[in-house]
Amino acid sequence: MFDFKPRPQIPLDLEIRSGSPTEVELAILQARTRRHFLRSLGGGLGTLVLGTLASRLAPSAKAAGAETAALDFSRDARAPLSPLPPQFPAKVRRVIYLHMAGAPSQLELFEHKPELKRFDGQDCPASFLAGKRFAFISGVPKLLGSQYPFHQAGQSGQWVSDRLPYIEKRLDDICFIKSMRTDQFNHAPAQLLVHTGNPRLGYPSFGSWVVYGLGTENQNLPGFIVLLSGGKTPDGGKQLWSSGFLPSVYQGVQCRSHGEPVLYLDNPEGVSRSLRRSMLDTIDDINQQTYAAFGNPETVTRIAQYEMAFRMQMDATDAMDIRKEPEAVHAQYGSKPGQASFANNCLVARRLAERGVRFIQLYHWGWDSHGADAKEALNLGFNDRCREVDQPTAALLSDLKSRGLLEDTLVVWGGEFGRTPMRENRGGQEMKYVGRDHNPGAFTIWLAGGGIKSGISHGETDDMGYEIVKDPVEIRDLHATLLYLLGFDHHKLNYRFQGLEQKLTSVKPARVVSEILA
Amino acid sequence: MNVLRIFDQSSGPSMTAPKPAGLNRFRLGSVMLAPILVVTILIAFLPPDGNERAHWVQFLGRFHPLLVHFPIALFLLVPILEIVGRSARFAYLHLSINFVLALATLAATTAAILGWCLGRSGGYSGSLITQHMCGGILLTLICWLCWLLRTELREFGVTYRIALTLGVGLVAWTGYRGGQLSLGRNHLTEHMPNGLRHLLGVEDSSAASASSVDPNTFYGARIQPIFTAHCISCHGADKQKGNLRLDSYRALMRGGKDGIVIQTGNIQGSDLFRRITLPVGQDDFMPKGKPPLTADEMKTIELWIGAGASDRLAISAIKGAPSGSAVPAEVKFEEVDPAAVARLRSAIAPAVAELQKQFPNILDYDSRGAADLRLNASILGGKFGDRDLEAFAPVAGHIIVADFSRTAITDHSAADIAAMKQLRVLRLTATRLTDATLLRLESLNQLESLDVYGTPITPAVLPTIAKLPKLAHFYAGQTSIRPGGSVPASLLGKLVF
Repeated sequence: MFDFKPRPQIPLDLEIRSGSPTEVELAILQARTRRHFLRSLGGGLGTLVLGTLASRLAPSAKAAGAETAALDFSRDARAPLSPLPPQFPAKVRRVIYLHMAGAPSQLELFEHKPELKRFDGQDCPASFLAGKRFAFISGVPKLLGSQYPFHQAGQSGQWVSDRLPYIEKRLDDICFIKSMRTDQFNHAPAQLLVHTGNPRLGYPSFGSWVVYGLGTENQNLPGFIVLLSGGKTPDGGKQLWSSGFLPSVYQGVQCRSHGEPVLYLDNPEGVSRSLRRSMLDTIDDINQQTYAAFGNPETVTRIAQYEMAFRMQMDATDAMDIRKEPEAVHAQYGSKPGQASFANNCLVARRLAERGVRFIQLYHWGWDSHGADAKEALNLGFNDRCREVDQPTAALLSDLKSRGLLEDTLVVWGGEFGRTPMRENRGGQEMKYVGRDHNPGAFTIWLAGGGIKSGISHGETDDMGYEIVKDPVEIRDLHATLLYLLGFDHHKLNYRFQGLEQKLTSVKPARVVSEILA
Repeated sequence: MNVLRIFDQSSGPSMTAPKPAGLNRFRLGSVMLAPILVVTILIAFLPPDGNERAHWVQFLGRFHPLLVHFPIALFLLVPILEIVGRSARFAYLHLSINFVLALATLAATTAAILGWCLGRSGGYSGSLITQHMCGGILLTLICWLCWLLRTELREFGVTYRIALTLGVGLVAWTGYRGGQLSLGRNHLTEHMPNGLRHLLGVEDSSAASASSVDPNTFYGARIQPIFTAHCISCHGADKQKGNLRLDSYRALMRGGKDGIVIQTGNIQGSDLFRRITLPVGQDDFMPKGKPPLTADEMKTIELWIGAGASDRLAISAIKGAPSGSAVPAEVKFEEVDPAAVARLRSAIAPAVAELQKQFPNILDYDSRGAADLRLNASILGGKFGDRDLEAFAPVAGHIIVADFSRTAITDHSAADIAAMKQLRVLRLTATRLTDATLLRLESLNQLESLDVYGTPITPAVLPTIAKLPKLAHFYAGQTSIRPGGSVPASLLGKLVF
């Protein structure tokens, strides 16, 4: 097929005057890539001829153009987060993403595998190991049955282990994808893949894409807020909520769930709000002059961020202050004001969702159950993690539901990969604690909320829970599905960078998992 | 008529000195005609019937596509030689034309015989193959005729020219039919660039292949799509291996050369089911040379045969059929046509723009392609009151989602809310609205979701709310409405606490 896609015209003889390039010149320089250079070498004349031909075949060229017409995401430079309607009517208006950093074991939570239990303690078959790379397993490991009993629960009769007594009560609201697959078996790249669609650094996170595409209605709060618990930042680091090549105004804003939500947000002693205002006005003036001279869009981002911080002084403090919640709510979530806990963060997440924050990302660290020490043992630390997230997660779901917010909110729960049905044998030795190694071949995540079927399970793994046997879902498929729920064709939510229409789902074909759509 | 002329001219008195050699050559002409007549008779009495025959017929038949290009090239060479030979410089070309024509006739005859072998060896029947064969035989005859006219009768006039022209046309037509047989009916236009397609007015046939099956029956919705996906490339309109077609219910039930393939209600006796469930690689396995059907597809077919294999059964008639369609429905992304959107919004666009300036960020279109509006006043909280809501009156009829949670609106706004006739979602969480407002909402017959969480609403509104025809969720937590109270039957299952 011919590709008549119109390309922006890059003047080839551009000369930048020394000193101060205009905004246009700067944009042109930024948009210039090796591809432009190569094209200008030989392709120029050919493109000209093809272009003429294309305009002759006018109807088709127009049709092809319409097919690939880019959506306009441009905004007033001073309000880069202003809301934009989705491409088509959307079921989901906001996302609460609960990322379980370290990869929780699906075999101890949602994947009921009685056959694996039967083979517990036996040598792992050679076919499981051929051609596979593991983070720690070496030699021939033993198979390891689930450490906890499973039972069916809810009207939907889905299987769940006894570790999640609260989430068990919400099973009928949950849609499991048990056939998630990734191609990364180490935490940081796998987390990057889950969050940015790419295992390498430098790509915008899912939340950044969403805020870039939809903006946010509440201009007094960031559109993309990040809350951490579990004592450590995920292995992927702050890259997980970075805006990558998108303007940095779309990056996630990490907030604290106790004390000052954002450090140094309060005015210092002796500085009144009006004094702060006049100071900001002066800084804005200087920034405006800088922008006029250099035309760097990041300067506009800086002005907008100062302004937002000023507005946030009031609203963020209020939104994050869970002391205002009644005692019954704290009992429901298990939250205690003044702590840094997943429970507090879940409650904050609900308060933020109410206030129109577009993307709320929670991380809970400590799921990496290798069994190398007590903290990361399936029979010890894993239990603590379950206790820490079970009640608040269930409370978040039921709270959102009773307030009518679950209708257009999507809650996502999951890690970055799965865990092996083999017991980890670091260095070929049996370890003191029970644990499992990383398994990128199959893991479980679940969704709850608007636009998806509830009380169902999509995809299947084999009897050992090792490999997917039905309906595999790639990370990019999940992203395409979530973007679809938010009202976007994942091809259309794109941003031109380095000569390519960059998108969350990257370049491999992604499929919207239509089977789980309500 | 030509045959008559042959006799006239060869034996008539006008020939001054009939040469015995000429007569011999005429006999040679008859000898060359004989095999053509043989293959004509073969085609007439033993036409391809779709049944498969192995061994030498099939072996020879496979050489047809290889050999068929020789007569084509040789025959097309003749008019070229004739025309170019007119120039004095190339007059010598005339000398070779007779030889080329004789060669073309021989090649065409051989190709026709091999073609019959191929057609006979199975998989072909129908009008396409008949046309291709008739074209082939006619072309062979024309080759022979041209050769006869030129060598024996020294006829270079109108008859010869007409025959030659006819032959060229036949080469094109027969060749096209042959291409359709091997590459599919639309093989020439299938991959035509869209621009050219548009210019020539060629329909995109892949889009327009609607089948006549009823999509509301189990057969139409679940069974035929399986056959269409896996089977009809060999058992369809263009090829009928084993004389079996699976592109319609009637053809399916008629069966193939080995008899019927579906025994209604009898799974074991249904040859089709036996073959699709064989291990891959077995002789009888179907679809031959392709990946097997999925377990769900086999199960669907099994259940359907077991239930009587009717084409009338409703989709829901068979319980326990694997969920979803055999091939999962793919999501289609709607395209936004800016001109159509502008037309759609023309009536309200100025008012919307004005309101967006006055109340930034809380009013927007539902999507880039819609004229429906969403109003999210909850962002302004207590700063949004009854006066503000009045301003939205000009666009009230277009608002489909309205969120007044935590705003300062009171029962004075009841009329303004009731004017939003298209409302699907209404959120009044943590407002001071009372029963007075809710009792006025009975005209909102599009309302699907109503949220009064944390308001002074009482159970007195329930009878009114129960009348809302489309209501699916009524969020009544933190009100004086209690689960288990006297809830009207039509609200059961819709109340959320």
